[in-house]
Amino acid sequence: MKVLNKSKLIEALNVLSSQQEVFVPIQRESQSGYFSWADYQPERDELMLEALNVYQSPKNVVLPQTERMYGIISQGMEVDIDQTFEDAHPTLIFGARGCDVKGILAMDEVFLTRGFVDSFYQARRANNTIVANACYAPGPNCFCTAMEVDPVEPVGADVIIHDCGDYYAWEARTGKGEAVTAQLDGLLEDKEVKLPSAQPFQLQVDYQGVAEKLKDMFDHSLWDQMAEPCINCGMCTYVCPSCYCFDIQVKMFGEKGYRFRAWDSCMFEEYTREAGGGNPRGASKERFRQRFLHKLEFFQERYGTPLCTGCGRCIIVCPTDVNIARIIKAVKEAEVE
Amino acid sequence: MNEAKKGMAIEQPLIPTVVEVIDIVDRTPDVKSFFVRNTDGSGLPFQVQPGQCGMISHLPVGEAMISCTWQEEQEYLEFAVKRVGLLTDELHRIEIGQKVGVRGPYGNGFPVEACKGKDMVFIAGGIGLAPLRSFIKHCFKHRQDYGKITIIYGSRSSADLCFKEELFDLWPREQDTQVFVTIDNPEPDWDGHVGFVPAYLEELAPSPEGAVAVVCGPPIMIKFVLQSLEKMGYADDQVITTLEMRMKCGIGKCGRCNIGSEFICLDGPVYYLEQLRQLPAEW
Repeated sequence: MKVLNKSKLIEALNVLSSQQEVFVPIQRESQSGYFSWADYQPERDELMLEALNVYQSPKNVVLPQTERMYGIISQGMEVDIDQTFEDAHPTLIFGARGCDVKGILAMDEVFLTRGFVDSFYQARRANNTIVANACYAPGPNCFCTAMEVDPVEPVGADVIIHDCGDYYAWEARTGKGEAVTAQLDGLLEDKEVKLPSAQPFQLQVDYQGVAEKLKDMFDHSLWDQMAEPCINCGMCTYVCPSCYCFDIQVKMFGEKGYRFRAWDSCMFEEYTREAGGGNPRGASKERFRQRFLHKLEFFQERYGTPLCTGCGRCIIVCPTDVNIARIIKAVKEAEVE
Repeated sequence: MNEAKKGMAIEQPLIPTVVEVIDIVDRTPDVKSFFVRNTDGSGLPFQVQPGQCGMISHLPVGEAMISCTWQEEQEYLEFAVKRVGLLTDELHRIEIGQKVGVRGPYGNGFPVEACKGKDMVFIAGGIGLAPLRSFIKHCFKHRQDYGKITIIYGSRSSADLCFKEELFDLWPREQDTQVFVTIDNPEPDWDGHVGFVPAYLEELAPSPEGAVAVVCGPPIMIKFVLQSLEKMGYADDQVITTLEMRMKCGIGKCGRCNIGSEFICLDGPVYYLEQLRQLPAEW
């Protein structure tokens, strides 16, 4: 099997970075997330390939937090669109965990299927390669296997690397993965490898039958109890590797400007507020219920897979201790008339 | 068509086409119709079926999903826009000749084929007549395909009645057609019916036999009209309504217009009542 010796990791990232923009998990001051290797500064940044999940998932690589869509020229009656901003530069996500790869696969379903193909997402995704970092030791809030993720051999990865101590076992899985492997010609070695053994999950979650059961629980009293502490801050949606909802806004500087999109959140009252004043999800509980039903029922119904990948980030960041694993458990145990 | 769009080989569903506003008609004090066509005068940016929508964009301000009216051989699209918010307020200030953006068509539209041979009962309130009007005009254009046509329409006041020429002059002259108009409160110069739409509907009591009712209006009106129809014996597969939700993308991606696993922009906005009853009660 091919392996990448950890002593050659920095060199490998430099080589890859000369061929495409490489995003790696980095701790930068108080933030951690997937940042461009080209901006890596050893005195400021710490490479976090050993960590399970950095604070932000790599979803920003294919769906940036804000993204220009097209340029506008507005001169009174004369208005035109002078350019569009599909970004097709090649990118590589290096070190994504299986849960985050699943998040991107879920977004592929949204943006690339069901009648319309989103040209902005398509441009980025078509030129994006994923090197996934296999997980063998789940963290205290991990429950990906319950959400149809294989943490050791994640579907959707172009390359899977396995941390074997002094080296990464390197396994190309797709044509894109082969192409990236070829870029590292001379840096990879052939070696007999001994893969780590998988540790048991600390958190036990059983999602079996939950989507089906939720169909009869829209008006269940469980939502009142569960939503009570939620302050609709939206942190869960920002750190989630699969939350993809976006807003479209315009910014004008005199006669020139642009339309852009930005991550939005179903936690916010404005999200569904209509110009006429109506709001189908005006109450906090209604927004809370929407988020969890979207994750656990609606997305499953529409796309055949849950929109939660079991990464555990929302459990960690929630300031009021809302916990999706506990919600799944409560649904399992709830009595339904 | 704008240059940026012309050069691209791929589809760009979120990029509007720039069109010209060729006419603006005041419908009520707060409703205007905007008529648009391609900037080179060559006709339409896209065709729409009755009940479908389009995104209209005053490019430096914003865009909104609006019910769109078009008929075969018509060289323009019509958007009837009520002034309710930031964008629509700005739209109401534009003048003929203004370039705006449009994209679409979006949504499923009314089941015009499935309704063939039926007596049609159209029930609308306020600006809710705009989407039904496309269907009504379609019925008149293909008059032999549909049975008796009953139109019941109400608004807050006589000034707020949309499409008055059609309501009082054109439609009542159509064959086997009755038009009933009501306003919420009495007015000195109004000798027509006074009262809310649901009560008027029950008073008129159009027979459910072989009929389909199509309903659009403010949410509260829709709610009570659906109750009235049920009381009058209309089955859930004889009632059609069209929903509205806040929308941004129009193509089922941005997330906000869902009811359950349905996206209203893409899978709706038109539903039979029997379909709506399968969804969470969030409409």
